[in-house]
Amino acid sequence: MSARLPRRQTDPASARLPGRRANPVSARLSGHGGPLTPRRAPARRRVAAVTAAALACLTGAVGCGSSKPAGPAVSSPQFGTNATGVVHFWDRSATSPYGQILVKEFNATHKHLKVELSPIQDTQYVTKLATAIRSGSAPDLVGIDDINSQLFIYNKAFLDLTSAVNKLPEKNVLSPGHLNLTTENGHYYGTPYVGDMSFLLYNKTLFKKAGLDPNKPPRNFADILADAKAITKLGHGTYGFSFAGRCEGCLGFTMMPDVWATNTDVFKGQPGNQHATVSSNKAMRQTLTLYRKLWSQHLAAPESETETGATWGQDFLAGKIGMLPAGYGTAANAPPAFQKQIGAVPLPGPDGGYSTFDGGANFGIPKNAPNPSGAWEFVKFALQKEQQAQAPLGGFEPIRTDVGTPAFKKKYPINAVLLNALPKGYAPKTLSYNVTFNQPGGPWEQMFIKAVFDGDIDNAIKNGQTGFADALSQAES
Amino acid sequence: MTATTVDVQRPAEAGARRRRRRRVTSRPGVGLALVSPAFLFVVAFVLFPLGFAVFISFTNWPLIGPYHFVGAENYSNIPKDTVFLHSVLFTLMYTGIVTVPIFLVGYGLAVLVRSNRRGATWFRTAFFLPFVVGLATESFMLLLELQPNSGAVNFLLHKVGLTDGSTPWLVRTNFAVTAVCVLVVWYASGLTMMLLMAGMQGIPHDIYESAEVDGASWWARELRITVPLLRRTIALSLILSVIGSFLAFNQFYILTQGGPGVSTTTVVQWIYQKAFVQLHVGAATALSLALVIVVGLISAAQFFLLRDDDDRKSEAS
Repeated sequence: MSARLPRRQTDPASARLPGRRANPVSARLSGHGGPLTPRRAPARRRVAAVTAAALACLTGAVGCGSSKPAGPAVSSPQFGTNATGVVHFWDRSATSPYGQILVKEFNATHKHLKVELSPIQDTQYVTKLATAIRSGSAPDLVGIDDINSQLFIYNKAFLDLTSAVNKLPEKNVLSPGHLNLTTENGHYYGTPYVGDMSFLLYNKTLFKKAGLDPNKPPRNFADILADAKAITKLGHGTYGFSFAGRCEGCLGFTMMPDVWATNTDVFKGQPGNQHATVSSNKAMRQTLTLYRKLWSQHLAAPESETETGATWGQDFLAGKIGMLPAGYGTAANAPPAFQKQIGAVPLPGPDGGYSTFDGGANFGIPKNAPNPSGAWEFVKFALQKEQQAQAPLGGFEPIRTDVGTPAFKKKYPINAVLLNALPKGYAPKTLSYNVTFNQPGGPWEQMFIKAVFDGDIDNAIKNGQTGFADALSQAES
Repeated sequence: MTATTVDVQRPAEAGARRRRRRRVTSRPGVGLALVSPAFLFVVAFVLFPLGFAVFISFTNWPLIGPYHFVGAENYSNIPKDTVFLHSVLFTLMYTGIVTVPIFLVGYGLAVLVRSNRRGATWFRTAFFLPFVVGLATESFMLLLELQPNSGAVNFLLHKVGLTDGSTPWLVRTNFAVTAVCVLVVWYASGLTMMLLMAGMQGIPHDIYESAEVDGASWWARELRITVPLLRRTIALSLILSVIGSFLAFNQFYILTQGGPGVSTTTVVQWIYQKAFVQLHVGAATALSLALVIVVGLISAAQFFLLRDDDDRKSEAS
């Protein structure tokens, strides 16, 4: 037995080592086993090729499934015309009720092209879309939270739609704030889809009871404070103001427009090269001071300290709150009788002026989408005036400034107020919005808690400046 | 006669069977074929992902867009990540707080239900039920019950005159940690109970009877017989409990979201935020691998400290 072993030592390394015996199993497995070698070699090459391909897929920036999009090019006149097949549309779960309305009408009128809508949970949207794009299984069309559009545009994940957008007849009436979030270096990578803007809702009945003029809503911080004091004096669990103190996203949505009303922002520069200006922003300090006063003077409902957003606005709908910064959805959910009591104004700045958060969703077509032409055909349909006029049915606002016809204003009086503010709407173009404002325990939340609940505004702003700057450098690294 | 024939034939048949079996099992290909499915699974679902995770940890790997290699930067940044370091300390503190109560409550419950007295099965089920229901569901339930002015906890405390019913449990660090710890002890002690109960039922009853005859009290029997013979089971339950606590995520994610600020952020929660909120998968993977090493070291330390006499003797020899 031992005499035969050396003859099986075909592994040169093994053969050179004195006293080392070749293991027949490992010899066969390693392909150095004599007669097996010629048959195994091509198999090894195939395995190596497959492994290399798999690794390339896994490590690839875009993914294996990526290929040149099917159908006509974006610049072609046929792009978005008479497309066929299926369009897979990923919508935010929040905006999907409106998306369902559009899809149903589109599918009823388009025989050769069908849209299939998949609602994606808002908090998981970015992760799922990014993963899908990386793995080459991106949908044809996305309805993404507009504030997150830049994340994908900056990383070249969306199709350049400039030539198609420029051909849109409604381009000039689209919400400028939303549209701005789809641009980079003068190119369009999407279009607005639907609006979800922030406003100051107020209870006209409580205003009247408190001796205030229900037709004179607050126009600056002094008005808000004075009106809140008058309404809180009514007692019986009635408060002048309410906010979602533990919902960092809600707070960013409703407080930042107070700052933007002064035509300033806490971010300066273009995405990829921005810096934070929290400490030098006077309006930011004034806004935190207003909320601190509302809280410390017991003008805001006690539940404001613990409201996580789960029951945000319920106290207002119960008729116990004078003023609530919120979105149109809160008013839309009110019983019809109560809706008549609700007034709405854009969010005022410290000394006047106003702004609104251009929230909602933007359309985008991932670069490796299989049916971009079909997706664009649906986008053109969704942007039509008739379709946009149905946005209030889903609890949202249209993103066309020309939808506010007399019939629309009569049917949706609150929404019409919001529509008037559309040209002054704004949303920051930054890569760090999520990390700064929506991250639990993020710099915005920490700054708010320290300033409003702890009363340490100076240190809150000082820490906020550092936190915002760190978040920017993380996001842009 | 028949018996003799059988006796003679049996060894011969057995020998032939053994030879056949040896011929089959001694062929190297058979052993390899038998272990290869398990080996492939381990390669596909453990080794390859682990290797790939190591690869990712040396890149900037954003969730969106291309990646590039950054060398050991993700690892060298770990000591500078103040939130991560805070989360490690908080997680260690949380693990320290809950481990002993989980064990003691679990042991107490096991003592209550280890006999087969009437109703024991009902109690076993009742005590084990929180573990079956799951921590995520229970966290959501507690989230509702801790709400100021509307939750059952505040309602009851108000009714007995201890509070005014508006305690914001989850926005004060101490209250929030207390609430989570109580929840977790309630949830996890059922599992400890089951493990210890199974161990207790395996101890021969004769030993207790002998001890009783010798005049040993209940406490003496528990401390001198039950605990020493349960040493390995106790070690297992403590190791499971510590690892589970160190990897805590659900309860904090649902109840406190790591807040107020980052005061109740656990290690896993911070890694999650790093990967899926900040979108830095490369850095998050480096933190995950560091966590794997830390958990491995903690478990190794536990194995070493909780080893029994047999292990010590085998180490000594």
